[in-house]
Amino acid sequence: MQNVSGPCRVMAFARGWSPERAAPGELARIRAHLRGLAAELVFESEHGTWLCRPDDELVAIAPLGRARFRVADDEDAVFVVDPAGAVRFAHCQHAPIRDTLAAALEQATDVMLAQAPLHFTRRAWLTTCVVSGFALAVLSACKQKVDPSDPPPLEAARPPLPQELDIVLDVNGTKHPLRVEPRVSLLDALRERLQLTGTKKGCDAGQCGACTVHVAGKRVLSCLTLAVSVQGKPITTIEGLARGEQLHPLQLAFIEHDGMQCGFCTSGQIMSGAAILSEGRATDDAAIREQMSGNICRCGAYPNILAAIKAARS
Amino acid sequence: MNPFSYTRPVDEAEALRALAEPGAVALAGGTTLVDLMRLEVMRPSRVVDLGGLPLDKIDVSSGSITIGALASNTAVADHPEIKARFPVLAEAIDAGASGQIRNMASIGGNLMMRTRCSYFRDTASPCNKRTPGSGCSAQDGYARMHAVVGGSKDCIAAHPSDMCVALLALDAIVHVKSARGERALPIGELHTLPGNQPNIETTLQAGELITGIELRDAPFAKRSRYVKARDRASFAFALASAAVALDIAGGTIRDARVALGGVGTKPWREHAVEAALHDKPASKATFAAAAKVALADADPRADNAFKIELARRVIARALVLAGGVS
Repeated sequence: MQNVSGPCRVMAFARGWSPERAAPGELARIRAHLRGLAAELVFESEHGTWLCRPDDELVAIAPLGRARFRVADDEDAVFVVDPAGAVRFAHCQHAPIRDTLAAALEQATDVMLAQAPLHFTRRAWLTTCVVSGFALAVLSACKQKVDPSDPPPLEAARPPLPQELDIVLDVNGTKHPLRVEPRVSLLDALRERLQLTGTKKGCDAGQCGACTVHVAGKRVLSCLTLAVSVQGKPITTIEGLARGEQLHPLQLAFIEHDGMQCGFCTSGQIMSGAAILSEGRATDDAAIREQMSGNICRCGAYPNILAAIKAARS
Repeated sequence: MNPFSYTRPVDEAEALRALAEPGAVALAGGTTLVDLMRLEVMRPSRVVDLGGLPLDKIDVSSGSITIGALASNTAVADHPEIKARFPVLAEAIDAGASGQIRNMASIGGNLMMRTRCSYFRDTASPCNKRTPGSGCSAQDGYARMHAVVGGSKDCIAAHPSDMCVALLALDAIVHVKSARGERALPIGELHTLPGNQPNIETTLQAGELITGIELRDAPFAKRSRYVKARDRASFAFALASAAVALDIAGGTIRDARVALGGVGTKPWREHAVEAALHDKPASKATFAAAAKVALADADPRADNAFKIELARRVIARALVLAGGVS
């Protein structure tokens, strides 16, 4: 299983382009299509390098460097990098492509809007469509302009064939045999393989705490834990916190004190709070705030979360 | 995340053999490595999971405490003997990261922590540490979080660890093993300045494994404190932090250790401040005057020049706390 979080990135090395020289409305068009593609675009020309995200202002960023991508000075090129970082499409040509990029994005969006096959998961469908749709669109948009002397598309970086390992995860008292690549996080194994979607993927980088679970009784971040590294250790997720129908005291306290608004961070908040309660770290308000600082709540339900933890303590 | 081959050795000899393979990196808590592999800042071909090794013991003896490299940050910060004999270490660890990360992160891994420089973490930006020779985006970039001392024209990334700052103030010894044998080095000799090779961050050789950290009792160790200034009250990297340790007898400072975090390209020992404290009365005036000599050689950017004054005040605050004066 691949990590498919984050946007696809389209990288264009387009000679002559700059925000000042863009056609009227071109940026708005590009943004609209990036939004549909769940993608972001990096443009580089001799005038600079810009990151274009669907909902942000265009920002100038440090140069990528043509040489790094083996793009010659007299070529334009487009790369599509998938959320796992692999180059899924590469094309370079002598003819300029800047006039066709907005059109290509438009065509890619049309492919995206086609009916998704039912057996695809939403995420697999998005990733596949972004990559294949965009590749087809760019190729067809460029077709009229292809110079017969163009070099063939750059060979995509091909990682070695992944190793797979047979492991057993002991989750909420049940042993689950699984075959996984070593790069699969505990979070992805829980959510995508065991369908335990109570554990949430927020930042996937250890900064938000939404993915907090207990491994061998300690609260940890499942996004920074490789599934293969926790074989044989008892794992508890939010689904395993209650005793049958009897909710954990902190779960009851969160309901009583309205410890959530949108609810996305809640399972992580509760797993973290349950651990600090059982470890006796929730000694006073300041200690609770400090101990809970690894669990971010964008809604700002902190006062109620604090109240819930205090209530569950007593 | 790029694919890699994974091994989980069950003893040290097997681990040392695996780590000697080209492209191998050690996995302990994973809080740095898994994060950077996902960002594709690190793309190792082999990952050697150390989790099966018995290296998490904390051995307490009369003159020293030896901490196994795989002991968790939480286990060290909670240890009653460490709190009593080396309080600055417990305070520094508790000042870092979040409860979840402290549970995962190991002591050995904390020594090997990579910088949080945003250009290092963004694979679209040139970075000499990540891709030698590609350039340093921080030189003319946004450098508020970057180092004000120890930098070079090729790198000004700040060292991010709190724990290492405390260990530097405690003269900790790092124990290292490889297939060729064992060695021990003072913590001050572990981290290197970026110079023209920012990609090299420590004096560890390929195939070497950190097995533990030794803390030796010293007259200054018990009277040691950590003060950290950051952008929010918790779960943020240091803008400036200070680990200080004082040996005071009859109101006079016999010996002092002062180390800084958040301001250097490596954990930064402040010998000038230590000298300014030596044989002086333990008073607020002494502490304030000594703190002022810190970072005399600093080379700040416009964005991070504030760190110099901040660091001096953090030092003064830590000295007042450690000295027990009001």
